[in-house]
Amino acid sequence: MTTVLSAEGLVKRFGDLVAVNGVSFVIEEGETFGLLGPNGAGKTTSISMAAGLLEPDGGAIHVAGTPIRTNSTAGKAAIGLVPQELAIYPDLTAAENLRFFGKLYGMAGDGLAMRVEEVLEVIGLGDRQDDLTKEFSGGMKRRLNIGIGLLHSPQLLILDEPTVGVDPQSRNAILEAVENLSGQGMAVLYTTHYMEEAERLCDRVAIIDEGAIKAEGTRRELVSLVGQRDRVRVSATGDLARAASVAAAMESVYEASPSDLGLEVLVTEASSILPELLSRVAANGATITGVEVFEPNLEAVFLHLTGKALRD
Amino acid sequence: MGAAARIASKDLKLRIRDRSAFIIGIFAPLALAFIFNVVFGGAFSGDLELEYGIVDLDGGEVAQAFDEVLTQIESDGLFTLSRYDGAAEAEAAIEADEIAAFFLLGEGLSDAVIEGTSADLSVVGDIDAQTSTQIAASIAEQFGAGVSSTQLAVITAFALLDGPPPEESASWGQEAAARGASYSLVDVSAETRQLDGTTYFAAGMAVFFLFFTVQFGVVGLLEEERDGTLARLLAAPISRTSIVGGKALLSFALGVISMTVLVVATQLLMGADWGPPAGVFLLIVTGVLSAVAIMGLVASVARTPDGAGNLGAIIAVTLGLLGGVFFPVGQGDDFLSKLSYLTPHAWFMRGLGDLSGGAEWTAALPAAAAIMAFALVFGVAAWILLKRRLNR
Repeated sequence: MTTVLSAEGLVKRFGDLVAVNGVSFVIEEGETFGLLGPNGAGKTTSISMAAGLLEPDGGAIHVAGTPIRTNSTAGKAAIGLVPQELAIYPDLTAAENLRFFGKLYGMAGDGLAMRVEEVLEVIGLGDRQDDLTKEFSGGMKRRLNIGIGLLHSPQLLILDEPTVGVDPQSRNAILEAVENLSGQGMAVLYTTHYMEEAERLCDRVAIIDEGAIKAEGTRRELVSLVGQRDRVRVSATGDLARAASVAAAMESVYEASPSDLGLEVLVTEASSILPELLSRVAANGATITGVEVFEPNLEAVFLHLTGKALRD
Repeated sequence: MGAAARIASKDLKLRIRDRSAFIIGIFAPLALAFIFNVVFGGAFSGDLELEYGIVDLDGGEVAQAFDEVLTQIESDGLFTLSRYDGAAEAEAAIEADEIAAFFLLGEGLSDAVIEGTSADLSVVGDIDAQTSTQIAASIAEQFGAGVSSTQLAVITAFALLDGPPPEESASWGQEAAARGASYSLVDVSAETRQLDGTTYFAAGMAVFFLFFTVQFGVVGLLEEERDGTLARLLAAPISRTSIVGGKALLSFALGVISMTVLVVATQLLMGADWGPPAGVFLLIVTGVLSAVAIMGLVASVARTPDGAGNLGAIIAVTLGLLGGVFFPVGQGDDFLSKLSYLTPHAWFMRGLGDLSGGAEWTAALPAAAAIMAFALVFGVAAWILLKRRLNR
């Protein structure tokens, strides 16, 4: 794996306020890395430094091995930025917006024209490319906002809360587009305060609050870090006490108890134990009618780490 | 094409679609210049025909000297002069609209001057021709001032010498009186140093609105900041100099386009006479640069585009009024006149004045140099502050 972005000990102060305090993380090629935290946690400040918009007061950022500085153009061609706010020109058409930014990234001629066509298809605006963007819906503008960031095929795409204020349909389209990007080998830095987006998109997540990273890892690693376990609800009839006793004796099962509907089982990782668990329960006097798995989520992890909810 | 040119080109496209730059840059100044010219143009007209008379009841050396002054001015083509034997005859000529005013040189005028006592030189004018009468009075006053200073010099000399030798007293007085004849009124000429009314208002409105027009470029930086697109520009692999330069380039282009169109349009439609094209172009380029610099400084200190627009408007109106784009500010050495030269507007108007009356294009060089000084001082400050703003 090739490291695309490395942030080491980033610090940013605004007067007396320390907005970012020692933030470090690494993103590999083809990886989607999430910065999950509430508003004001330091997400946007962190990615602004990563994109070369803000100069860190401490620490360093490297993208594709090149140090990123505000007063230098080096390394910036490797970065695609999708700002949180819409960053498009309303009095230009969708194609004109793409062409303008493409030229700033050194694209020209047929190569630019073809890439503009490709991106317009990817973001679903092929048939509206010659319309002024001020006539677009909010979702269409959001998609174009992302398309501009993708245009020059950057090694690193930075998306700052791209689904804020977006209708559910457009939001889903955006999430699908981001999922496809990592599949194409692009590294993605994604900030959000929506736990479900981080869980769906990100290979690894850093939980950030008050300018500092509280924990970092895969969803599973984060969950295990704070001792959270999967809860398996087995809907069943029959000798539930016996079935619960058998289940409780299994390795990786912390607790098994009968309930009104069947059994409640706490396990380390449901996906690895579920077939054997169901087999043993069925073989020991219970008739299974349904199974539900409740995995602990990042919301719970965040609450555990910071003592507050993500949307506080 | 460099990044600055691409940004300027994109902004120009936006401004063309927006149309506001053309309303402010071309249509508004053209309309106002036309209105001002219709309303006030006569007061500036170079076609004012002055016809004066002179009644010499004195016949002495001072009267003769004054007659020579008037004859000299008449030969320069500034007015025509008729001679009358008496005041009644001259008044009849006024009644008949043959002359606008006459100079009355009373009996004993020369003797009184030579003796150092007070003397009367009167101007009688048509009540319906106040401008012409005022000009005649000014000529008489200036001649009188010259005579008075000569008298003072002679009196001083007498005092220092304890009086002239008696046999030379009369000749000194006559010589002093004759000195009055050397007084000339060259600067009164309206054709050598002043713009005609049409050109004055065309130029005034053009340079006044120029400061609004160039705002569309530099204030665009604040609009990019407000609209979020500045983040994309800053994240792109282009220098921050290119971003500021692109905005300044658009301001410059809009300013030059606006001024050029106005020069051509007012020349064709209103008969304005701007002067030699090379000199006018020099003044336009330096004038636009100074406007870009001043409005760039405004953009660098404003927080929002609206704030920059408001502050820019205040500065543009203040500089315009002080610089004399609506009406001439003061004359000669008075304080307001000197103060007006703290504006590029005044230098621009002066430069055009220097170009009028058949002057070479190089006549605009002093004014252009002064305007360029404004551009450099304000431009450097604006550049530093705008770059600092982007490098937060």
